[in-house]
Amino acid sequence: MNRMGWQKWIALVLFALVVVATGVFAVRTVRRAMYWRLHHDEVIRPWMSIPYVAHSYRVPPHIFYQALGIPPQLHDRRPLKQIAREHNRSVDEVITVLHEAIARERATHPTGAPPPPDQGRSP
Amino acid sequence: MSITDHLLGALSQYGLPVLFGVIVIAAAGIPLPISMMLVAAGSFVELGEMKLWQVIVVASAGAVLGDQIGYALGRWGSHHVVPRIKRSKNGEGKIAQAEAFTKRWGAAGVFFSRWLITPLGPWLNLTSGMAEYPWMRFFVWDVLGEVLWVVLYVMLGKLFSDRVQALVEILGNLAWVVVGLIVAAILGWKVLKYMRPTATMKEEKDTSRALA
Repeated sequence: MNRMGWQKWIALVLFALVVVATGVFAVRTVRRAMYWRLHHDEVIRPWMSIPYVAHSYRVPPHIFYQALGIPPQLHDRRPLKQIAREHNRSVDEVITVLHEAIARERATHPTGAPPPPDQGRSP
Repeated sequence: MSITDHLLGALSQYGLPVLFGVIVIAAAGIPLPISMMLVAAGSFVELGEMKLWQVIVVASAGAVLGDQIGYALGRWGSHHVVPRIKRSKNGEGKIAQAEAFTKRWGAAGVFFSRWLITPLGPWLNLTSGMAEYPWMRFFVWDVLGEVLWVVLYVMLGKLFSDRVQALVEILGNLAWVVVGLIVAAILGWKVLKYMRPTATMKEEKDTSRALA
């Protein structure tokens, strides 16, 4: 096969690969957009601070401090991983406590919001 | 825990210095989740933890500085690479082609790779420097594009301040869809170009056979 032939086939294979990859990303974008539309709650991640989780779940921050058994702080910018480290707990444990507090708060003050998602990543 | 969790945790705790540092490094070419950091910064603005004008100024300055590092690396760091390419077969022509392409599409390329097709940004910094694209023109389009990118992402973060994680996952995938469509269009055009001469040659052969 001459040089032009090889170039043509390489361009064709690359074109097919790029089309497939773009399709995969397009499907993922649509799936995540649908997940967003159906689930109003954010997945709680270790980078989030208590004020952020409180804002995202529309729960007063003091509920979380109470549940974790730590004193409330004004302008608390510590991420959950830092809070976990300071109190010798794992991040997963802290996130579980927050989920339980959210469930309790929603049970006592129902707002019609859907239940919190699993701790894993969204699809 | 992912690098994104570490960086966003640091942004939440230490604020603007982390935002500046990470954006400089990422704009210079190291892949880091800076779109997510901007969206998170927008959310922190909404929470009252950061000031909007400070985030926009610091993030834009970091991005422009990182881009200038990439441009400088391409312009002055490529002295060893460019002569080698020039010495290779058709090397001179390839360099001339790259320079012509950058000069023709330079402004649009620099501007759109700042905020629309962001994964290509660091590459364009390097190639603009290598092709010796005029620095002042690069700088002006760079500043315009980066400020637009920062304002766009920070305002999105401010608007959807309670759903940063979900928003960034959508935006991250969408950026690759845009890049994929552009690359597919370029490759598709090349494939068509390779197909055409073959078809023409076949037609010529058929015509000569018919004449014989």
